[in-house]
Formats: sequence, structure tokens, C-alpha cells
Amino acid sequence: MKRTREDRAVKKAPVSEEGESEDEEYDFRILNDESDREAEDDVPQQSDDDKADGSIHSDADDIGSEGEDALSGASPEDSDGHVGSSGGDFDDEEGEGGDDEDDEEDEDEENDDEEDSEDAFMSSDDDDEEGSWDRGEQRSGGPLRVLRRKPRPEIEAEYASDSSDEETTNTVGNVPKEWYEDFDHMGYDVKGNKIVKPVKGDELDQFLTTMDDPNAWRTVHDPVEGKDIILSNQDLEMLKQIQSSGFPDGYDPYQPTVEWFTSKTQLTSLNSAPEPKRRFVPSKLEGQRIMYIARGIQSGRIVPGRRRERQKPKYFSIWDETDEPRQDHPMHIAAPKLPPPEHMESYNPPAEYLFTPDEQKQWQETDAEDRLTNFMPKKYPNLRSVPGYDRFIQERFDRCLDLYLCPRIIKKKVNIDPESLIPKLPSPKDLRPFPTTLAITYRGHTGRVRAISIDPTGQWLVSGSDDSTVRVWEISTGRCLKTWTMEEAVQFVTWNPNKTISLVAVATQARVLLIELKLGGAEVEAATDAIFEQIWTLGTPANGCEWSRPSASDQRLGIRAQITFAKTVTFVAWHRKGDYFATVSPAAASTSVLIHQLSKRQTQNPFRKSKGLVQRVLFHPSKPFLFVATQRNVRVYNLLKQELSKVLQSGAKWISSIDVHPSGDNVIIGTYDKRVSWFDMDLSTKPYKTLR
Amino acid sequence: MGKKLKKGEKGAVTNYITRTQAIKKLQISLAAFRRLCILKGIYPREPKNKKKVGKGSTKPQTYYYRKDIQFLLHEPVLQKLREQKVFARRLTRAISKKEYALAKNLEEMKPEYTLDHIIKERYPSFIDALRDVDDALSMVFLFATLPTDDKIANEHVRTCQRLSAEFQHYVLTSRSLRKTFLSIKGIYYQAEIMGQEITWIVPYQFSQNVPTNVDFRVMATFLELYETLLGFVNFKLYSDANLVYPPKVDQQRDEGAAGLGAYVIESTQGQDLLSDLARKEGVSVAGTKADKKKVKQSEKRLKSLGEKISAIASAENDDNEEDLDDAATAAPSDDTETDLPQSLAPATTDEESVPTLQTFAQASTTLTQFQNLFRGCVFYLSREVPRYSLEFVIRAFGGEVGWPSTSGAFSPFSEDDPRITHQIVDRPPVSVDAQAPNAKGVQGEVKRYDKREYLQPQWVYDCVNARRLVKSEGYRQGETLPPHLSPFVVAREGEYVPEVVGMEVDEVEENDAEGEEDEVEIAVADEEEEEEEEEEKDEEEEEASIDSSDEEALHQAELQAEAAGLTFSEFQQQKKKQQKSNSKKAPVAKESAAEKQAREERELAKMMMNKKDKHLYNKIQFGKKRKEEAADKLRQKKAALKQSSGGVKKGRRGA
Repeated sequence: MKRTREDRAVKKAPVSEEGESEDEEYDFRILNDESDREAEDDVPQQSDDDKADGSIHSDADDIGSEGEDALSGASPEDSDGHVGSSGGDFDDEEGEGGDDEDDEEDEDEENDDEEDSEDAFMSSDDDDEEGSWDRGEQRSGGPLRVLRRKPRPEIEAEYASDSSDEETTNTVGNVPKEWYEDFDHMGYDVKGNKIVKPVKGDELDQFLTTMDDPNAWRTVHDPVEGKDIILSNQDLEMLKQIQSSGFPDGYDPYQPTVEWFTSKTQLTSLNSAPEPKRRFVPSKLEGQRIMYIARGIQSGRIVPGRRRERQKPKYFSIWDETDEPRQDHPMHIAAPKLPPPEHMESYNPPAEYLFTPDEQKQWQETDAEDRLTNFMPKKYPNLRSVPGYDRFIQERFDRCLDLYLCPRIIKKKVNIDPESLIPKLPSPKDLRPFPTTLAITYRGHTGRVRAISIDPTGQWLVSGSDDSTVRVWEISTGRCLKTWTMEEAVQFVTWNPNKTISLVAVATQARVLLIELKLGGAEVEAATDAIFEQIWTLGTPANGCEWSRPSASDQRLGIRAQITFAKTVTFVAWHRKGDYFATVSPAAASTSVLIHQLSKRQTQNPFRKSKGLVQRVLFHPSKPFLFVATQRNVRVYNLLKQELSKVLQSGAKWISSIDVHPSGDNVIIGTYDKRVSWFDMDLSTKPYKTLR
Repeated sequence: MGKKLKKGEKGAVTNYITRTQAIKKLQISLAAFRRLCILKGIYPREPKNKKKVGKGSTKPQTYYYRKDIQFLLHEPVLQKLREQKVFARRLTRAISKKEYALAKNLEEMKPEYTLDHIIKERYPSFIDALRDVDDALSMVFLFATLPTDDKIANEHVRTCQRLSAEFQHYVLTSRSLRKTFLSIKGIYYQAEIMGQEITWIVPYQFSQNVPTNVDFRVMATFLELYETLLGFVNFKLYSDANLVYPPKVDQQRDEGAAGLGAYVIESTQGQDLLSDLARKEGVSVAGTKADKKKVKQSEKRLKSLGEKISAIASAENDDNEEDLDDAATAAPSDDTETDLPQSLAPATTDEESVPTLQTFAQASTTLTQFQNLFRGCVFYLSREVPRYSLEFVIRAFGGEVGWPSTSGAFSPFSEDDPRITHQIVDRPPVSVDAQAPNAKGVQGEVKRYDKREYLQPQWVYDCVNARRLVKSEGYRQGETLPPHLSPFVVAREGEYVPEVVGMEVDEVEENDAEGEEDEVEIAVADEEEEEEEEEEKDEEEEEASIDSSDEEALHQAELQAEAAGLTFSEFQQQKKKQQKSNSKKAPVAKESAAEKQAREERELAKMMMNKKDKHLYNKIQFGKKRKEEAADKLRQKKAALKQSSGGVKKGRRGA
């Protein structure tokens, strides 16, 4: 089979412009050196102008044929020579072109040798669909990639399959050959000239030539041309194929599929979008990173391919003689060392350190945290029988936890002799004289004695009792001078502090009686009587209570006045001068404290509101102050200014009694919770001292 | 007028920071924070007033000192921990992406931190480090015996073994061991280095029970710190003692379980101390034919150093001996007195308030004597005794140790060496009856040497604690051992002091020692207590005539009774009576009127105490009472034991 050049559809590639950069052209040439050469091959059939232009054929078909040409004729050396040539070397190319033509003449003979080494060097091109997959790499400056394919002549379905258009030099036409058998020509050409038969020897000559010619066996006579044609290897192969009822051109219908685009391989692209620029422009970031690394290597910062070595030896000298020991810092609390082991921990302790069964049981029953020792003492007869301690790791771990998890605090441990804490008291002997023996007992009351009071002269004692009697005693002798029997139990008795009169206030339930004792002599008696004669002449209304004149019989007994209250009166307190007195009836709410003036038979309620459960009231000995002891506090009122001046906070649960020092600066209160609080009025509202 | 302060801007609040706040501030995980705390030695604080610090709330919270946390912000290790976190993320990503080359590169660039700056920061001076080395030692000694598994890395165990052996070697060479104690938990040691008492515990060498509820990550972090600390401490100790650090490890010996002998301790002058010791002793190092290169090399080196070394060594030894002799002669009184136990030194110095040159000299002499306690003694350890401990203790006091091949190779001498003075055994003696039938077979194994003392291991430890060679009675093979007491206990007033039995000095100084022992007790007690003690002593003396514990006295009393014509039962009765009268004497006599008055006055005075004092007083009394109760309990137990054992003995004797 012979390839016809006329059949090739040759197109002209766009002529490269003058202004194009050489680089590009050069690149192009590298890529398309084969096609270049092919173009040159084609040149003889084309016009010379074409070649002079240096135009490059870059058609698909062209390239296809090009590949075949390479297959059939061009040797690798030739193509190499082309690669280096620049566009200007026309002469050389022509020369080479000539060479190529020579090659082509020998084509058939060379085919034999080259069949093995024939590689179709198909250079890819933009339009070449088969070569499109490796384009990217070529552009990005990689090596020229060539797709290796099995050499195969191109088949053009229309033309190559039949021989109707085979080139013939004989233009005889459709005239039977036998007509010219006896002539020495075999027909006529277009101009009417005879076409002379080729010289043919006689039978012997023919035989001899067949014997000499090694190709005689493959020589066939062409009756049309009247020529002998030597069949090429290819032709023979084709014949063989036809004989074996195969494809004449050696096409293998069962060749393995080339997987261009499958799930595994994706050599071709899915779309035909043009390559983005980033694919072929070198990355700036990468460049920077490479430069960073390169500079690092240059400066010795990075040592490629080597493991970092330890700069220092593992242990070295970090302390020297000049080091100052760690200074004590108030916020630094060094971890305490573990206590050293005791005898108990010995493997062979004295027998008394071992646990009794009871202790053993107790130890086992207590929680691990509450145990005094974290082990049970044991005695082994010898060292070889001592087992390993199973909680060793646990104890080390606990220590670790203590070291880093346990909050630390500095607790000051007092290291003093406890005896030094006990105060040195004066010996009781030094405190003499103090009553040591019972001197007098005042007998007469049959019920509980609720209150006693001593008269200002210090001679008499008055007492009130639950047996509803009030008795007056001579202190020095214990003789009961007088006895009054009341209707109810006596709550309180108190002597009027005024020495010029002799008067006792007695509180029995809801009544307060003022009793004249007639003990001080006539003068005192007269003074007392004078007061009571005078008061009944005054007609002042009382509020919260009612003053009433006792009956004649009562008067005879000495009762001078009777004040009736709404609720039980528990306490009566005289003012120092003996004119005013205050009463306390805790249950009476807002009228619990009332202040009475004896000389004017007057009663005032100093408080509009209840101040809580009032226990006691007391007049200040020198200043116009009133102490009101409620359940917990003592309220001090200034009577002149009519305001609360102080609240003494006792801190006690329930105040039972109160008294003021005659100088008026110190107050002591007694409480039901067995305390005595001592207030200094000048210092504070809190007790100066509390005694239990 | 100053600027008005807001709440929480001044005072205790500003000193403390809660854990959550700290973590937030440092931007690390809790685990990393804890790690950092362990390494930096940062610990939580208990504020004095929780309400003030907690801004009103008293809920349980962990507070840290604010400045600690602020210092942590600049900690290089913190930075490294962060880097490690990033590294771990990158590595996992690379591995999951199967980018193995990248992973390998990353692995090579793994961020690592060192702790040397932390050690220096936590312990600015060497003394500080020594003060805190107790825990480190205990931990390292523990990990040296642990099996390696997924929780405990092999390298840690190796390092611990090495560090512990190094430290032991230092204690050996510096002769700084002071106390030893065999407890049920392990063996306690106390060394005195640069005036610091360092106590550590070593577990008995059994396979450790590794509990499941122990977080080994925490332990590993502590171990990391402790390894570094101990490494630096060892370095300093070695370099101060002019020794080469790290000491070389003789591979062959190490594999042969030579224990401490596997380490080659060299002085910086190129002197191999241990080999010198061996050379001096004239015992060639036992080596098999298959000696490896290393040993040969070292031998070669030693040879090349040759005469010089031996000259130095001999000179040094001479010096040492002279020192000892000097010390002995320098002491003021005769020999028997200088041999008095050293533990009494402080008691005697109490009398002389001003220390003189003489007292110093004496103290140093006694110390040198103590340090050379086992000098001249040659021990042979039987295979059943703990060699790891005994070898250390004996050599720390100048003794020589040998052992059978079953407990390790490279023993300096064999069992039949004539120099051996003591053999430490811990097995019951084979009775004559048992020996008779198969005499030869057994005899080969338990061949006894006449010149040696066969003692139980406790003897060695008791000697160290008593600071002298104690009598071997009670410690011989098969004998019931006297109780082993803790040398760490210092008896205080009112505490129970167990009876010391069998702690008599070898040979002559017996009586002196007893007398001194009593003195110690008295010196410890206060003046008030002294009277009581004396009373007690009187009682004891009285008792001693028929004391059941004191067998000899009892026997004598019995004999006397027999001579007097008393029957045994009569004697018993008499004894009981005496005991009763003794016990009657003991309780407090009926208080006299004066005593009553004094007591009442005391009660009155107590009433006058203020609340604070009273509380404190009660607290002290409570503690005292508890201690007394504990001591009384022990006394009672002891008395009961005495009685029962006496009864048993009586019974036996009667039968």
C-alpha cells in the first residue's frame, strides 16, 4: 500500500506574525518539531513560497500523517537535528528535506529494519484531541511528554479502502490488453503519442533475472502498467492477513482498551474550559516559602535531613557556692515532710504495739481516711517472711496528690506551757474580811420571799413574799417589827431613799401600795404625813393607772396610797430624791413603764409605744437619765431632752436585773443565762467585761 | 481624700485566684495546668478568710496565689506545652491523611522541653534542693523496681535504676548513711548530706502490686521532675566529691546482677575507687573467661595508670587509718570511754553550755567511728537475705560484702574465704536430728565455719541504729529476734518508751551502755517528769527482785526462796502480794487538805480564764490526754503481756 500525498487535506496554520516573541516561537518549535519537518517534507509538493514563509502546518490531519511519516521514514537523528534549528536556517532545512526524500525512496527497504524501533512521536497540539491530556504539563515547563502508540497507517475510509483512485501513469483507458499484444506499444496518451511497452527480455532473460533477483519471489507483473512491482514487506503482510481472513491493514480488533476517562483514571478533562492561569503561573506563596527555607538553609537556621541534637548535656552544674538559699516568703508554704516511721511500723515491733482483736476490728471498721495509722502493725519472726507492702504505690501516689492538690495553710502551733494560761489569782486569804459564817436568819415568811429592801438609814429591812405578807425586820437583831397581810402575793418591795420620810412601796399584783412605817420618829412621821395630806387635795388625772385613797382601816395600818394598774406590776424604782418613782408592768404594752410623782400625785407615760418586754427601769443617780432594761438591751433615755441617748447591748439572752454604780458611770446587769455584764458608760455600748 | 476603692480591689481578694480563673487566664486545659503545677511546684492555698476571698461566697473552691499564676504566664514550658498540642494535632492529621513523610518530618521536629530552669528556680541553692529530695528519692527508688508496661515506660525505669544506684554510691563513698529501719512497708534509710537529713524508703524487692486506681500520668509527671532533680543533685554531689559523673556502667556486671558493683565510680583524677578498693583488698575481680572488651579495656587503662594510683590509694588509706588513730588518741579519757556509743553525745553536751574544742574533737571522733562501724568486718550474705539492702548498708559503714553466685555474679570473695567474720543468714538452722540420716548431702550445703558468727539480717540494721556493734545474742541463726525499733522516734515527755532488750554492746562496755541509756531517758524528760521517772525506776528496782521478764533474777529469787524453805506455791503467793502492794502504791494516795485547797484554787483560777485562753487550754489538755491515754494503753498491754508470759514461763518451769 502506498500513501498518497494528494489525499492529505493540508491546511495552512496561521502565519506567525513578525512581532511575536522569539521565546514563544521557540517553544512552539520544540513542541512541533516533527510537524515542522513534515511541513518541509511536504514542501516539494507545495509552493516554495509557503516554505519561505516558515509557515507551520498544525492541522490534525497533518499531524496524523506526520506521525506516519516518522513511522515510515524519519529517523530519530533527523528529528533531533531539527529541534535545535532556528527558523532562519532555510538552507539546512532544504538540505535535510532532500535527505528526507531520499529516505522516502528507500522507504520500502528500510521498513524492515525500522519496524521495531518505529515509534510514533505524536506531538500534541492545541487542536489535537488525543494529545490534550498532557498539555498542562508541557506548558508548565515539564519535559516533553510523548504518547507512545502502536504504529499504524492511517486509514481514510473513503479513499484508502478501494483502489479506484490509485495513481496510474498509463492513460490507455478501458481497452483490453490483448488488443496490443502484438504491438510494441500498449496504448496512447492524451496527446495521441504511443505509450511504449517497457523493454521485456526473452524467456531466458526473464528466467535469469528471476534467478538473480532476490526479490523475484515477491515480484508481480502489472499488466496495466506493464511493469513489475516488487511487493513490500507491508504488502506481503497484508496479503497474509487477507489470506487468513483478517483485516488487510493489520488492525487488531481485540487490542486492550486504553482507559482515558474512567472512574479510576481521568486523563482527559471533563470540560473544555480553557486552563486557568494559576495552572501555569508559578505560585507566589510557594515561592516565598521556598525562599524562606532556602534562606534558612543558607544561614544555618535549618539543617536539612538531620535530627536536632540536644544542645546541653542532660545534667550539668546548676548550683555553685555563691547561691543564696531561698528566702522565706510569707506566701510560700513549703510542703511538709512525711512523718518518720514509728516503732509500730517495724516488721518486728515490741509485742505491745500489736493490735488486740478489738482494735483490729475497730481499725477495719473505720474509714480509711479516719484511721490513725494507714497500716495494721504486724510482727514477723524474721526478715525473710516479710511480704511486699501492697499499698506502696498507692501511698506514693497519695503523697503526690497531696503535694499538688491539697490546699496549704500555715497553722500556728502554740508551744506554750498550758499552766501559763491560768491567771494568777490572789489568795483568798488576802481578800479578807469577807463573810464566812451565817450571822442572822430572818424567820417568819411562809412563802417564797420575792423582794427585800433596806431602808436608807440601814437599820431596817423590808421583805415581800408569796405568802402575801410584807414584813419589816430590824437588821441587827432579826426581830420582825411589823407584818402586813396583803390580798395577793407580793411582787416587789422597795424603800424610799429619802431619809426624811419613811415610806415603802409594795407591789402586789396589779396594785402598788405606799406604806408609811412610822419608824423614824415623830419628825419623819410628820414629814410623811404632810406629803399625803397634801396630795389628795390635788386633782390631777392619772393616766394608765388610778390613784386611790385607802380605807380608814388601811390607813390605820399605815397604807397611805394605793395605785391600781391594768396589769401586774413587777418592779418599782424610786428616784434618788424619793419624789419620783417608776413602775414596770411588762404585760401592759405601751403603758408598761409609768413614772409617778408622789408630791403631785401625778402619773406620766414616757413612751408612746411599747419597747418590748421591759424587765427593769432605773433612774440615774445624778443625771436625768432613765435606764430601761428590755429583754436583751438596756435603753438609756435622757429625760430632759426626751430622747434615746444610748442602747447598751448586753449580748445576753434575757436580762434579769440591773444596777448603776452610785457615781453613775458603771452599769452592771445580771441575766437569766448566768452572766453578769459590766458596762462602762463612757466607753462603749458593749460590755466591758462579762462574767459567767 | 483618696480614691474611692471598689470592692475586690484591695486586700486578700487580690492575692488569690480560683482554679477556673487561672485556667482561663493561661488558656490551657486542666490537664496541662495540673502538669504545669506539678512541675513548677505550684499548690493551692487555703485563704484565711474564705468569705473575703470568695467575695462573699464560702463555697468550696480551690484558690491559687495570684502571683504564682502570673509567673506561669511567662513559663517556657507552658509555651512548649502549647506547641506540643499543635504538634499532636498536626501529626494526627498527617497520619490520617497517610502523609507519612510529613509525619516523619514532624516527628523529628517534636517540641521538647527541659526542666533545668525550673529546678534552678525552685531550688536556688543546693541546700534547698537537698531539703526537698526526700520525695524524689522515694519515688525514684520505687520506680526502679516497677515492671514496665503500657503505663510505665521502660526508659523511666532504666533512668530510675541508674539514678538510685548513683545516689547509693554517693552515700557509700561519702559514708553519710545515719539510720536504717526495716518497716512493714519497706526499708527506710536516712543519710545526712551537707547537714540535711534525707530520709527515703525503698520497697522490698517483690513484684509490686500495681493498683488500678492510681493515675500513672500524674506519677509520670512527678517522676519527670524528680528524675531531673535527682540527676542534678547527683551531678552536684559527685562533682563536689571529685567523682566522675555519670559513672560508667560495666555492662557485663550489670547483666550479671552485680548490683551496686556494676557502676564504676571514678575520681576526677582518673582513679577508679572501687577497683582500688578491690586491689587493696587483694581480691582479684572474679571474671569469667568470656570477659568482654569493656572490662579488658578498663583493666588496661588501670594498668597504664599503674603504680601512681596504687601509691595514691595506699597513701590515702594510711591517712585514713592515721586519722582514726589520731581520733582515738585525741580523746581525753581511756579507751573504754571513747568506745561509748555516740548517740549520747548530745546528752552529754547539754551539761556544758559552751562547746569547747574538745567537744568538737570528740564529736568528730565519734562520727568517724560510727562511719567506720563495720570496718574490718567481712560479711558473707546468704542467698535468702536481701542483698540489695544489706550490701548498701554494710558498705556504707566500711564493711566488706560477699555473696553466693545465686544472688548475683562478681562477688569479691567466695564463701570459703577465711577472712569472713560474719555470715548473714535468714533460714532456720538444720537440727542435728534432721541432719543425721542424710548427713553428707545436707552438710555440703550448710557447711558451717567455726570462726564466723551466723547472724540474722536485723543485727546489721540494729548495729547501725545503736551506732555500735551490738551483742550477737538474740540475733544468731534460729534465735528469736529482739524487737526492731524505729531510730526515728524521739521519746518525749509522757510518751511510752518501749523496753530496749538485747541492745547491749559487744563484750566489755555492757554496763556503761546501760547506765547511759537510762541517762538519755532522764535527759529527755522534764524536771517534773523526772521525779515520776525516778519513782518508776524505784518500782522497777523493787520489782526486779521478782521480775518475771528478767529470767535470771527470777530464777535467783526462786532459789533464795527454796533455800529459805518456801514451797513454790508459797513463793508464788508472796510474789503476788508484792505485786499487789506495788500496784497499790502506784495509784494516787488520798489527797491531803492542802492538796484539796490547791486544786480548788486551781479550779477558781481556771474559771477566771478568758474564753480564748480557756479554749486553748482545753485543747492542749485534750491533746495531752489523748497522748497519755495512748501511752497508758501501751503500758497496760505491756504489763498484760509480761504477766501472761511470766505465767507461761512459770508453768513451764513448774512442769
